[in-house]
Amino acid sequence: MILNSIEFLFFFCLFFVFYWFFAGKNQRIQNLFLLIGSYVFYAWWDWRFLFLLILSSFANYILGIQINKTENTQKQKPFLYIGLLYNLLILVYFKYMNFFITSFVDLFSFLNIDWNFHTLHIILPLGISFYTFKNLSYLIDIYNGKLKATTDCLNFFSYVSFFPTLMAGPIDRARDFLPQLEKYRQFDFDKATSGLKQILWGLFKKMVIADNCAVITNQIFDNYTTLPFWTLLFGAFYYTIQIYADFSGYSDMAIGVGRLLGFNVTRNFNYPYFSQNIAHYWRNWHISLTSWLTEYVFTPLSIRFRDHGKWGIILAIVVNFTLVGIWHGANWTFVLFGLIHAFCFIPLIINNKMNKRIKPLKGTALPPLKVGINILLTFILVMFINIVFRADSVSHAFAYLEQIFTFSRPELSGSTDFYFVTDLIGNPREILVILMIGVCFIVEWIGKETDIPLNVLTRSWNLPMRWLLYYGLLFILFFLTGDRQEFIYFRF
Amino acid sequence: MNREEILTKINEVFRYVLDDEELILNESTTASDVEGWDSLTHIQLVVAVEKQFNIRFTSREIQQWNHVGDLITSVESKL
Repeated sequence: MILNSIEFLFFFCLFFVFYWFFAGKNQRIQNLFLLIGSYVFYAWWDWRFLFLLILSSFANYILGIQINKTENTQKQKPFLYIGLLYNLLILVYFKYMNFFITSFVDLFSFLNIDWNFHTLHIILPLGISFYTFKNLSYLIDIYNGKLKATTDCLNFFSYVSFFPTLMAGPIDRARDFLPQLEKYRQFDFDKATSGLKQILWGLFKKMVIADNCAVITNQIFDNYTTLPFWTLLFGAFYYTIQIYADFSGYSDMAIGVGRLLGFNVTRNFNYPYFSQNIAHYWRNWHISLTSWLTEYVFTPLSIRFRDHGKWGIILAIVVNFTLVGIWHGANWTFVLFGLIHAFCFIPLIINNKMNKRIKPLKGTALPPLKVGINILLTFILVMFINIVFRADSVSHAFAYLEQIFTFSRPELSGSTDFYFVTDLIGNPREILVILMIGVCFIVEWIGKETDIPLNVLTRSWNLPMRWLLYYGLLFILFFLTGDRQEFIYFRF
Repeated sequence: MNREEILTKINEVFRYVLDDEELILNESTTASDVEGWDSLTHIQLVVAVEKQFNIRFTSREIQQWNHVGDLITSVESKL
């Protein structure tokens, strides 16, 4: 069940009624409904993996209590290590096992050793990267004395499996989310309507922008050998728009659904394509993951390497971004993607600019020229690195990039649909899509000071105008929806 | 050295590292109260404080601090 499906609409309407009308004024019944709803939601996809989710919740719940029992570090450590090992092993097994096997087979065949080892038939349990990270931070926070273990298993299980964010985040921390579960949620009309606006905006980004871009990028990336470099550049551009619209659209929906249930889900995107350098970009992109890694990987490592000055920080960044890459999946393209981003940080670290506070842009006016150029250059850099992210393999990525940088113009052959840019944008639908991308970024530029751009846009509008906009967006959703595509981040 | 003397010395170190001559710390100051005190300058601050007092913190200690008072307690325990 995905958030932009009819099934989910029915599921959620039913759930909404139960949650707000049959839970009485009882916080525990609210949480019980949440837990049952989340398990139904997860089992809808594959009921077998529900047991893994329950097992993970149970194991971390018990380990949390054990770590909390004593303040003696030596006594806490074994439980922390069991927890880290358990969570990481599950993740490695389901996500990376076949990657290790094929990489070893490749290595041995490179060394001319014939190693007959078969890959396993492993299905990746949806959401595993997300809920495992929730569990890990829960245990580490307790160990570091930043959080008390909860003794209420209903609350903890509901936190781990909270359905709006279960499949693809945002990754909420227990220290922000458990306190919300401990209180009775009262229906808040303003919060609910702002949630609805966020969902509407998310649907627009996902179904109109991302799904339409996907049709184009898939064709360009699949047929790149027959296409000229300018079409390939177009492909990289569309993919960069697609991945943002896809994932930030999903996050908006998840956060909006959370709001409808009375929760504040952590923010995941802060208009990353308006960033002014690569470090700034990563502070605004997939925030719940990057802040997680900053806290639990980058900071401890940079503390450990603190005697080595800037080299220590560079090393910590390289490790951190290799993990960012690998987190996305078991493919060398993701490792390379992470490493390239890490290398882009090096000039910033050397010039002491990595963490330099960048003044938030205010108002709706165009930015000053220098800021505008920085935004554009950052976008172009991200766009090129995204080619590596999108490619099926490292060799695919290199071949694609090589064609761009050698200004390749293959002879016209069978697949010439996209040979000229004019073919790409020659039909009315593509023109509409490009128009919608423009609308999307203009609205976000206007709304960039808050997390719900529609709120800012309509601030001074009267009621009929606002409804006209909402109906207009719904209309566009129905008539301009691309072929339904899976959410990119469901694979991670 | 008492807590107040430690605070005075730490304040000097912070002023130097953060390049802010007017910075005034107290026991309850946190990173979010001080402009420029982020995860990166935090490490420079740690190294500078360690040098100043000729001590060494553990990684865990550093990550457990919530405000300047915790830092002072750590320094105090090592002198």
